[in-house]
Amino acid sequence: MSPDHPSDIALLLRGLQEPLDIDEIRWERLLRIARASGLHARLAEANLDKATMTDVVRRHLLSSARIASYRAQSVRAELFHLAPLVTRDFPVIVLKGGAYLLQRRRVATGRFVSDVDLLVPRKHLRAMEERLRAGGWQAEKLTPYDERYYRDWSHETPPMRQPGHSLEVDLHHALTPVTGSLAFDPARLFERSEPIPGTPFRALCPQDQVLHACLHCFHDGELDLRVREVVDIDGLLRTFADHPDFWRDLVARAHELGLQRPLWYGLYFAQAWLDCPVPPATREALSAPSALSRMAMDAFVPMAMFPSDPDSPPPLSVRFARLLMRTRYHLLRMPLHLLLPHLARKALIRLRARLAQKKEAPDDGAP
Amino acid sequence: MIELPYRLLDVGAARLAVASPIERLHKHLDLVYPHHKPITQPLFADARVALLPGSRFRPRGRQVTLWADGQRPFEPYPYDCALPLFEWGSNYLLSQRLNAYLLLHAGVVARNDRALILPAAPGAGKTTLSCALHLAGWRFLSDEFGVIDMETGELLPMVRPAPLKNRSIDVIGGRPGAVLGPVFPKTRKGDVAHFVPDRESFLARHQRAQPVLVVFPRFQAGAASQCAPVPRAQAAMRIGLNSFNYQALGPLGLEAVVALARRTVAYELVYGDLDDAIAHIEVLFERAP
Repeated sequence: MSPDHPSDIALLLRGLQEPLDIDEIRWERLLRIARASGLHARLAEANLDKATMTDVVRRHLLSSARIASYRAQSVRAELFHLAPLVTRDFPVIVLKGGAYLLQRRRVATGRFVSDVDLLVPRKHLRAMEERLRAGGWQAEKLTPYDERYYRDWSHETPPMRQPGHSLEVDLHHALTPVTGSLAFDPARLFERSEPIPGTPFRALCPQDQVLHACLHCFHDGELDLRVREVVDIDGLLRTFADHPDFWRDLVARAHELGLQRPLWYGLYFAQAWLDCPVPPATREALSAPSALSRMAMDAFVPMAMFPSDPDSPPPLSVRFARLLMRTRYHLLRMPLHLLLPHLARKALIRLRARLAQKKEAPDDGAP
Repeated sequence: MIELPYRLLDVGAARLAVASPIERLHKHLDLVYPHHKPITQPLFADARVALLPGSRFRPRGRQVTLWADGQRPFEPYPYDCALPLFEWGSNYLLSQRLNAYLLLHAGVVARNDRALILPAAPGAGKTTLSCALHLAGWRFLSDEFGVIDMETGELLPMVRPAPLKNRSIDVIGGRPGAVLGPVFPKTRKGDVAHFVPDRESFLARHQRAQPVLVVFPRFQAGAASQCAPVPRAQAAMRIGLNSFNYQALGPLGLEAVVALARRTVAYELVYGDLDDAIAHIEVLFERAP
């Protein structure tokens, strides 16, 4: 790892919040790690009109900002197509990026959205799926095993897509895998959800939006290069910070849903990396992880989440940290007696596919 | 890990940096970028990549991987094909990053600073035609990227080796003055060899050109040349269709393709014979305002 790499990360985090005054060579490194972590359009947002920079740097920032706003426009278009499917019989919540956009949250600017996530009450899941299908959205073909995995163990249905559209629609019936230790009854999310003015959709209440962002960041999938999700958490917290009672309600809600741990990590890293103004009383009101977990997370989360030195493949230590975090995720998601057969089966399927592919395509793996 | 030095290549509209321990790649780069003098000072690069060899002991042959910014955006290539991977991969990265410009999927050649744009889908013969026009005396700006500054409407050169495929290798290689790199047999796109643009085009790589003529080419084996004018509105839409980022640029993209169609005249050219196509194009170009 190059010696100035840690300061590159510090510079990146600073550049998300204030315009930077650095030379072209520094900008190039910054753009590279920003791209690797999906933060380049946020960097553009904070710098494009404010910092002095050379034309070539400006062009790259402009390029990222344009792609982000194009993606945002695609999400708005997809939601526009989805709106007629929402009727009065059950509520449909737009999660994450889609909601931030429709609610015109500041955190949406410069954020890359890759799909549309919807949450519906579990008993209406089939009805919503049927509506999507009737409206032309199609699920990708899955093996019966994957299909069962989604239905029985996951918290979402297989992604659906309108032919010709670039975005996927993910239909959720919960925010946590039903097999995971953090599972809670999603009905409570609907109780406190809020209408999004001018649309038939609803959004989670501010506290639940924060909790979901934390849950998604630390408990839903691998942690590789996920620093951008901590940036989201920080952005949401800053948006709501001045509302009276926000922090108190946030803690109360975390207790209610059993999400103290993800929230603790969210607040902790947002504060450590981005100086998020979390009132001291807030984190103290949450039970902290054990000293050992904390040490492990302190050591491995940055390695997994931050982009590594852009000049070389990720070093062994980073790959180890990412593997470790992936293992943690799988353990959180499923009890071992379900997890081990699942992973073994996936590995076997992958191996078989690779062997089959080799026979079919003896040439090169050119894209 | 040993720090590899980057080799900088200034191709006009972009600067590339490539590092690799693979000696053969450097030999190949010397062949297809013969006019580039080594750049020693550290400079900004629009795309910075490393081509690193895979395991020597892979049963089905050694591979080479393109690393960009600590990630592997593409599947590896066979070890011998480092140059095609670099050319293809860095072009792909540029197509994602240069959205400050309108990027046409087009060959571009010029006489003096008056440019001809050849927008076409892959396989329509734009690389072959661009190379043939270059050998017939036109300045080479690009066989792949029509880079347009949306503020001025001018074209920026992107002077890179042009990947000729299969039969085009002999068709262009057999013409007087043609300089080609090594042939890479049986890549995913068939046999590939890189055509090297001449020194004048290389030296003019920062010299912008004014678009005057747009020709939508379509190669059809054995066909007699057929040329038909394309009305401006239609030309604008077809230019948009043959663009990497027309959609992503939204209203800016629309304005840019309309402005381009307004300042040029456009034709469609179906051709079976390269020399006949060139003769047709010379006439169209002469007549263009």
